[in-house]
Amino acid sequence: MIQFNDKKLGEVAEIVNRYPQGKQKSALLPILHLAQEEFGGWLDVPVMDYVATLLRIEPIEVYEVASFYSMYNLKPVGKYMFEVCQTGPCMINGSDSIINYIKEKLDIGVGETTADGMFTLKTVECLGACGYAPMMQLGKNYREHLTKEKVDAIIEECRANAIKNN
Amino acid sequence: MGRKLLLDKVHVDGIRSYDVYRREGGYRSVEKALKSMNPDAVTDEVKKSGLRGRGGAGFPTGMKWSFLAKPAGVPRYLVCNADESEPGTFKDRYLMEFIPHLLIEGMIVSSFALGSNLSYIYIRGEYAWIIDILEQAIAEAKQHGFLGKNILGSGFDCEIYVHRGAGAYICGEETALLESLEGKRGNPRIKPPFPAVKGLWDCPTVVNNVETLAAVVPIINEGAEEYAKIGIGKSTGTKLMSACGNINKPGVYEIDMTIPVEEFIYSDEYCGGIPNKKRLKACIPGGSSVPILPANLLLTTAKGEKRLMNYESLSDGGFATGSMMGSGGFIVLDEDQCVVKHTYTLARFYRHESCGQCSPCREGTGWMEKILLNIDNGKGRISDIDLLWDIQRKIEGNTICPLGDAAAWPVAAAIRHFRDEFEWHVLNPGECLKSNYGLAHYADEIHMPLIA
Repeated sequence: MIQFNDKKLGEVAEIVNRYPQGKQKSALLPILHLAQEEFGGWLDVPVMDYVATLLRIEPIEVYEVASFYSMYNLKPVGKYMFEVCQTGPCMINGSDSIINYIKEKLDIGVGETTADGMFTLKTVECLGACGYAPMMQLGKNYREHLTKEKVDAIIEECRANAIKNN
Repeated sequence: MGRKLLLDKVHVDGIRSYDVYRREGGYRSVEKALKSMNPDAVTDEVKKSGLRGRGGAGFPTGMKWSFLAKPAGVPRYLVCNADESEPGTFKDRYLMEFIPHLLIEGMIVSSFALGSNLSYIYIRGEYAWIIDILEQAIAEAKQHGFLGKNILGSGFDCEIYVHRGAGAYICGEETALLESLEGKRGNPRIKPPFPAVKGLWDCPTVVNNVETLAAVVPIINEGAEEYAKIGIGKSTGTKLMSACGNINKPGVYEIDMTIPVEEFIYSDEYCGGIPNKKRLKACIPGGSSVPILPANLLLTTAKGEKRLMNYESLSDGGFATGSMMGSGGFIVLDEDQCVVKHTYTLARFYRHESCGQCSPCREGTGWMEKILLNIDNGKGRISDIDLLWDIQRKIEGNTICPLGDAAAWPVAAAIRHFRDEFEWHVLNPGECLKSNYGLAHYADEIHMPLIA
């Protein structure tokens, strides 16, 4: 059964309280982020239904939002998602070769996940790091001024973290 | 060296913390406004300062504030637009990340002026780590009595919350932002009614960009007249520029709007010139939506004057020979860059970000992307160039929100100024995959016919 623990439910209550009485639907985007982090990195239908119950809204109100915004994953993703920017300013600075290098190195295409479930490669549009290009988002942070060597180091770092966290 | 009003303290050690920020003179504008001014007087100062919205549209901020409806018994809201997503733009991120209290201070004064007891910062979801920084700053401000109930004994109550978006450029459009803040898809609303009358939860609302709200601090501290002395014409105060592309020193620069574009690109104080002694080919001076200009028209207006880094000068000549200040996202392309390919990435961006509500934008952005990809890959026809022109013309002005225009303008300007580069791609389908059109004539001096 899908259920936030007490600590997370406390966070949900705190988020809902940021909005006036009766406007709890406003908490939907932040709570979907919370749910995605908590329930395996993506939003399965039962997870979205649970969020609807929490906010006392219809499930369709959650689905239509989850499917609109690019940060919500509607299918499973790897433990580490490389979201590489490919818009103009990053392209000028070599994002294509970074994307190709990651494809080769991990032996996956864009939108795919490695067989061990560790890495997903995604291309994204402008993340607001144009002066520090090429770049990718990894979890909560940006990795900027990417080079092939840096990509190697990031992959090693993720593998080491995965072992440490197991 | 120009005066800095927003970033002058950004390199002070520990400025991100309340204690250092306060020691450096932070929160004085809140004291001044709440203790010695009434809300209308604050709005008047902002009006007199000539401050224009720094998100891209450049609309006078004081005038926007004065449109706010004030029916009795109805709450009013201030929402800070921190959904910075225009390609080339990363100035708000810099301000929030390194001097977060400046935004919080500006928001408190602005909330006081507008009568907003509950204000929100709508931040793009990807700036996840900045949310922690802002929430820390808000907590510190509250702990020191600058937020919460009865601030500084003035009787004014104010809370600020950060609201995280989830990846949608369209939410930078103010009515889409409000929809998103209400927990919905980011579909822009039909205007009127404008947010000033019917905004967040149908209440009167003002939406302002991060940099705009931060600029309220020096305006109140120094007075509107002092602020308006900086700059030129209707471009008063300072502007944050985020510079990227083929330059030696990409980054965020606070400029006073009197410097020439040439100085901004080549001076060591700013972009530091182009790497490897390459020559300037083209530039998008105000974020991806504004028209791209070839080097010659960028540095000099069609009248032969030096082009300056301000609202009027950048748009001098209209779309025929000028561009726009926009959001201040300054993208530089050197002689090795391909305008077709670059325009293709922008078209792909707008197709990805179209909310899908209006058919000209939903369908047209996809068509433009596909045609540009074909041309870039040597599979285009000459008639495709005219077709692109036709599509962009039919998107512009035919959509609920300005995303349609924003998608149309980069394509239109690329064809207007670089048509021969597009033709070269079509006529040299094999060659265009291996090399590019290069600098060609784009930096040549222009001889405009004299109009008697």
